[in-house]
Amino acid sequence: MEQRWPDWIRERDDPRIAHTRPEALDDITVLDLSYKNFAGCCCSSMLSEFGAKVIRIEPPQGDFIRSCTPYGVLYKGEGLNYLSEGRNKHHITLNLEKPEGREILKSLAKQADVLIETFSPGVMDGWGIGYEQLKETNPGLIFASITAHGQFGPLKQNPMPDYDNITQAKSAIQSATGEALPDGKSYDECPWAVPTKASPWIGWAQPGTFMAVGILAALHWRGISGQGQALDVATTESYARFDDYAALWYQETGIVNERFGSLDIACWLYCFAPTRDGAVFLGGLRLEMWQAFADMLGKWDEWDAAGWTTLQVFMRKEEQLKWAPLIFAETRKYTSEELVRMSVEYAQKGRLAPITAVVAPVCSPEEAMKDANWLDRGIFTPVKDPVYGEVIVAQAQHKMSQTPIRTRWVCQPVGHDNEKIYSEYLEFDPAKLAQLKKTGVI
Amino acid sequence: MAEETWQHYKEKKNSKPAPLKGIKVLEVCTLILGPAGPGFAAEMGAEVIKCEIPPMGDTCRDLTPFGYFFREQGASFAHMNTNKYWLGLDLHKPEAQEVFKELAAAADIIEDNLRPGVMETWNVGYRQIKEINPSIIYLSKNGFGQWGQYAEENRPSNDGASQGFSGYSRLSSFPSQPPLKSRLYICDNYGALMGELAVLAALHYRQRTGKGQFIELSQTEAIMRAMTWVWPYQQITGQVAMPAGNRDVSVCPADTFRCINDDFVTIAAPAPEEFRGLCTAMGRPELADDPRFKDHLTRLKEDNATEILKIIAAWARTKTPEEIEKLAEKHGFAAAHIWNTREVVEDKHFRARGFMTEVDDPILGKYFDHEFPVMMSKTPPKIKWGCRAVGFDNEYVLKHTLGKSEEDIKKLYDCGALGKWADVPTRRPPSNWDGRAGLHEA
Repeated sequence: MEQRWPDWIRERDDPRIAHTRPEALDDITVLDLSYKNFAGCCCSSMLSEFGAKVIRIEPPQGDFIRSCTPYGVLYKGEGLNYLSEGRNKHHITLNLEKPEGREILKSLAKQADVLIETFSPGVMDGWGIGYEQLKETNPGLIFASITAHGQFGPLKQNPMPDYDNITQAKSAIQSATGEALPDGKSYDECPWAVPTKASPWIGWAQPGTFMAVGILAALHWRGISGQGQALDVATTESYARFDDYAALWYQETGIVNERFGSLDIACWLYCFAPTRDGAVFLGGLRLEMWQAFADMLGKWDEWDAAGWTTLQVFMRKEEQLKWAPLIFAETRKYTSEELVRMSVEYAQKGRLAPITAVVAPVCSPEEAMKDANWLDRGIFTPVKDPVYGEVIVAQAQHKMSQTPIRTRWVCQPVGHDNEKIYSEYLEFDPAKLAQLKKTGVI
Repeated sequence: MAEETWQHYKEKKNSKPAPLKGIKVLEVCTLILGPAGPGFAAEMGAEVIKCEIPPMGDTCRDLTPFGYFFREQGASFAHMNTNKYWLGLDLHKPEAQEVFKELAAAADIIEDNLRPGVMETWNVGYRQIKEINPSIIYLSKNGFGQWGQYAEENRPSNDGASQGFSGYSRLSSFPSQPPLKSRLYICDNYGALMGELAVLAALHYRQRTGKGQFIELSQTEAIMRAMTWVWPYQQITGQVAMPAGNRDVSVCPADTFRCINDDFVTIAAPAPEEFRGLCTAMGRPELADDPRFKDHLTRLKEDNATEILKIIAAWARTKTPEEIEKLAEKHGFAAAHIWNTREVVEDKHFRARGFMTEVDDPILGKYFDHEFPVMMSKTPPKIKWGCRAVGFDNEYVLKHTLGKSEEDIKKLYDCGALGKWADVPTRRPPSNWDGRAGLHEA
């Protein structure tokens, strides 16, 4: 190969040239009716980044999700989560509680490939715009529903609203994340040693992403068969699917997974360790990597690393609890940066080089956003938005040589594209729009 | 109506087609970030050939809770490596590289998760494969992508490093406490899912144009994409996004509360009717009209949020989680106790929907596992069989897919290009294997 691989590929997939390339899904039209549900918003965002045309349909007062913003902070009137997830979408308003609104929805659905909705099961049916009804006029429609419990099964009538923290609680993930309560202590003394959820809305982003994957698979099938279909994601199931080993472990042994702090029940070496100025992640999932780490700390002889023959022993609970404090006593002697450097250097000069342990800094989100590596890779390049100006949202996470993703704009105010979309799809003129607005339909 | 769409969904799964039937995937993947993605595709019906270096294969085979094995297999490994064909191919050998190229010539998708450039040193990198198959879709996943400072330093990475680098863990912990690692391999699994999203979008583009492409995915960038508000918040306010324990700072009230008997309950009640319902359930209906809590944006402000969460915490301390769940149902807000693995595995709703699905594997026997969480009315994804020993399907793949003769195959074994399992647990078939069960007919 004449040119070095990293240079060759960067010339072809650097996000800086994304705007010169075609888009993978620019023949697909998506209606997003998500209400009070960020999973639906994430799902349509994902498709829009690949070029799908997403028409975001909100009630005339806007979606409640716009008000879900950290500490109530607004930017130019917009909540910060929605500022990230309104991206690339054409925002229109439509009142589905009015019969005229539902007729308009039907006309739009005839022209769409995908419809995303998050109402309680039965609501769309009750409005006469459920899957069975819409497929009459558009048999190729892919009708994607995201709810707390799904479209069928004993709980389908349960009206409990879908929230990220509820999904994290019900998926058995939160129960096994967190510090274990130290022996002899109470929650009054250690209020942080409790089942702990992830801070980001992963219980929404993940089901939204799963649904986007399902939608693309359904589009593939439609290409073969000509048929659309209904898709059903229950957010709790979706998140629980990432639980790798606990269900099998329980079935075979009856053991229910419990909190194990920042150690790892199923891996060694695999933990966070304190340093002089913070914490690092340590990873050595092969015996030689764990040996390399011991060597890097100068403990090759003292710990008899040469005599270790298998990692299995170290995965046992009592062994982990024995070794962790020994390691932490060493890592506390260094700064995080020193340990990271030691590991990189060990790969060059160590006894077991090029084998080395993974040592990574545990960054604050601020450090992450200032890291030159990510800035260079375009993940935090500000989006130049026509309404909101330059805004930093994470973007360009997929780097692709033919059809790179892109973020054209971050968000739009409620009803921003009413005129444009209603004129383009339904040929409504300004007089018609004024009348619909007056009667509360849009 | 939805009843009609989903009637007998679980029972009819096996008589319906899979959405990705006919799509051929080759994986050269280890641990979780790599194999989980093709695992998703395989559950949607793609034909996935998993190439492992014999005789030890995928490192993930070793990882298992506290050293416990699931029917002589690694538990995480068994969970994510379903429906695959198993090829023991030593890509260091030129003869093996030729076999790989023959498979690649007829493949739709190739996935690896090695460090940048490794596939190229084996003569099976994107530049080499596209010469023989220009429409190949080639996905490389890892910690840092293919270019940039960290990639150039050839740093190893994995899930925990990504949790550290992204700020995800620092944010998902308690204030003034050390950062907390998620019990999930969240960056691996989410990165894998995001990888499949891009692959399927690229497949859609290829069907329209015939053009393949290279896709790179950094799992850290993928998880950053899911941390929505964090980046615009830091840009706009100039403040660092801070950990907040179980409190959702974008939804109020939303937190996990300690109940009577040291059990926990998670509550979310941000929308007006939900908040009013919660206040009524607490016997404090007047709080819904309190100026500090009157609307969501006001309630989210730090002082007000702290105040209302304190009031709810005091109330929750006098109740059981079950009492609060019942009140939530009655008054229309969201609440859930902290579910554990046993509850998810045995839940009637999950079983009735076929999410907790019974796998009947010819080698591993019967067990329940999580089904692919997008239910598809016409093309249901499903688990058909579980994990296998290294090189288990060598003969099937070489005869059936490549039409090789017995003599060709023998030569490949003789030169070490082809190989099977090491005679150790997790690499070899379970000890009760009869030598035939689970083999595909060539």
